[in-house]
Amino acid sequence: MAKLEELKNEVKRILKEGKVKYAIGYERDTNGLLPKPAFIKKTEEADKLIWEPTCVYNLSRFLVDEKRKMAKEKNPDQRPIGLIIKGCDSRAVVVLLQEKFIKRSDVYLIGVSCENSGVVDERKLQKKLKGKKAEKIEFGEKENFVVTTSEGKIEIPASEILAERCLECKASVPVISDVLLGEKTKRKADNPFKSLERVESMSAEERWAFWKAELDKCIRCYACRSVCPMCYCDECVADTINFAVTADTTAEEKAQKIKWLEKSPVASENFVYHMVRAIHLAGRCIDCGECERVCPLDIPLRFLNKYLEKEAQELFGYEPGFDPEQPSLVACFKDEDPQDFIR
Amino acid sequence: MEKILEKKSLPQWLRKLSSYEIYAPTKEGDLWNFRLVVNPESVDLSHFQTVVSPKKIIFPQREVLLEFNSNEDGVEVREILPEEKPTVIFGVRPCDAKAIILTDKVFGGDFEDPYYWRRRKSTALVGLACTPPPSENCFCLSVDGSPHAKDGLDMLMTDLRDRYFLESLTEKGNDLIKAGKELFQEPKAADKKEAEKIWAESAKKIKRQVKDVKRIPAKLKGMFESALWDEESLSCIRCGICTYLCPTCHCFDINDEIVSSSPLKGERVRTWDNCQFPDFTMHSSGHNPRPDRATRLRQRIFHKFQYFVERFQNYQCTGCGRCVSKCPVRIDIIEVLDKVREYGK
Repeated sequence: MAKLEELKNEVKRILKEGKVKYAIGYERDTNGLLPKPAFIKKTEEADKLIWEPTCVYNLSRFLVDEKRKMAKEKNPDQRPIGLIIKGCDSRAVVVLLQEKFIKRSDVYLIGVSCENSGVVDERKLQKKLKGKKAEKIEFGEKENFVVTTSEGKIEIPASEILAERCLECKASVPVISDVLLGEKTKRKADNPFKSLERVESMSAEERWAFWKAELDKCIRCYACRSVCPMCYCDECVADTINFAVTADTTAEEKAQKIKWLEKSPVASENFVYHMVRAIHLAGRCIDCGECERVCPLDIPLRFLNKYLEKEAQELFGYEPGFDPEQPSLVACFKDEDPQDFIR
Repeated sequence: MEKILEKKSLPQWLRKLSSYEIYAPTKEGDLWNFRLVVNPESVDLSHFQTVVSPKKIIFPQREVLLEFNSNEDGVEVREILPEEKPTVIFGVRPCDAKAIILTDKVFGGDFEDPYYWRRRKSTALVGLACTPPPSENCFCLSVDGSPHAKDGLDMLMTDLRDRYFLESLTEKGNDLIKAGKELFQEPKAADKKEAEKIWAESAKKIKRQVKDVKRIPAKLKGMFESALWDEESLSCIRCGICTYLCPTCHCFDINDEIVSSSPLKGERVRTWDNCQFPDFTMHSSGHNPRPDRATRLRQRIFHKFQYFVERFQNYQCTGCGRCVSKCPVRIDIIEVLDKVREYGK
């Protein structure tokens, strides 16, 4: 497993050599167990970095913020930012490269291999511990995690508390990086679409009832959109006023803006919002699972994305986020495309 | 008025309250939320913290204000006021009840919001003392609250294992007791002592606190342009979790929802809005006076610990900890306030 000291040293080195303007990794939050994103600007700050099975966040999302920030600056620092990425996160970076949203020189990638393990689902862990509070979680020797509680250390098999997406992982080793920490041992996932069986086995009526109940809970906080590295549009149909409105936008243009969905969190509008989100991620989502993790109402959003991921694979033999040179499925035109509508 | 209710008699009491709409915390998957009670037998008050606070019952996320219809004579506009239905919310945590009296200040005063007050006046709040504190991020003791505070409640219930110790605090509370009077017993001196002991133990279990919170409002005064807001908001992803889940946040937007454009027909609707969304302050010109994460985080902190204190002499935060627990990137209001207090030292 990637050694924390190696990670800290690499971050210190690139900062000291001025290779990057800053680095983003993980540090511990104030409550002492879970991590939070750490923005490291000085070499001495690198000592607060951590690398543990709790490091769930897909930090590639911050590349979007950086690009927006640079667009507003007169003379932006053109150096890359250092980014700590797991295998799944690396695929998100590759999608951003495939779509030419970022350039390879925008980011210095410090890959950390999850090897045959992955990250912990906090909710599964809480259930497993039945009220006991975890103080520390470490990668174990075999496929297990070592959890320290006030009553001592216990070993928990990885399969019991791994994040759902890790059980279906297609890339436990980063597919792209400037430096790779940890071994290239891959996690074996027998069926990357196993979790879909639960919804696929439902009849159309059952499925409708299931989604109606789930999407009824949505309070439209848009955390699923905001956390997603692929949701980088300047203009989003979900917003009442679009960002694309500038001082140059005429009153007529504004008046003609179509309102696609209402702010009201009612079934019809919630469905439109979630369908738009899912469809816009078809052939782009790399299943980092962040949307589902951040949902305060526990809506199983991964199902939607996963289903479209499967469709893209089955219909077009396409898997996003493996090759930066491969044209993006939904954003390229090929002469041999079978559909007539595009000709 | 103080009473004792056997836990097994709770469903019978709820049945006696059939003239009320009853809301209670309901477990859905791993989460708790307030839902309308259909079956009194299923009500379980052993809950932890609901994801969304009970503000949503009094101040719903969507509320129709009026409807409009065009006809031969022009446009007919009809005001839609909420029905005055006697309502009772069970299992309200003291922090969430306090939040409702803070919201009263906003929707009251010189202009009384009729939509809010119709619901507010017909709703009784039955509190449940926090024994133990329901979240590891509870910090009510720092913001003039406590796990057994009575502010805003019509009744406070304390769980004594097989019984509840009930304290009615208002006329509304007395009416609830009268409705099921044969079910209650008079408490013995020992019952109240037991409740007080449980309260004291629970308060000790609250681990998180904002030290020296009284100094925050004055300190913030000089920090409008501080670099702290940039530093603390670096990881903010601009979602609306902290504010939508906050029991005291009350901002709203008003939009017309058109059902038919010819003939014109639709509703004017008020929905929750959120100062953390970039479009909250976006002007039609494209100018945005709060253009980034830093200014939006600053607004959240200033509103709760400066502006509201100046206007209403209360923190607009009751220490429920939801914004800390549910933040996707663990931005922690307690940590931010600690940094404000220590800033520039």
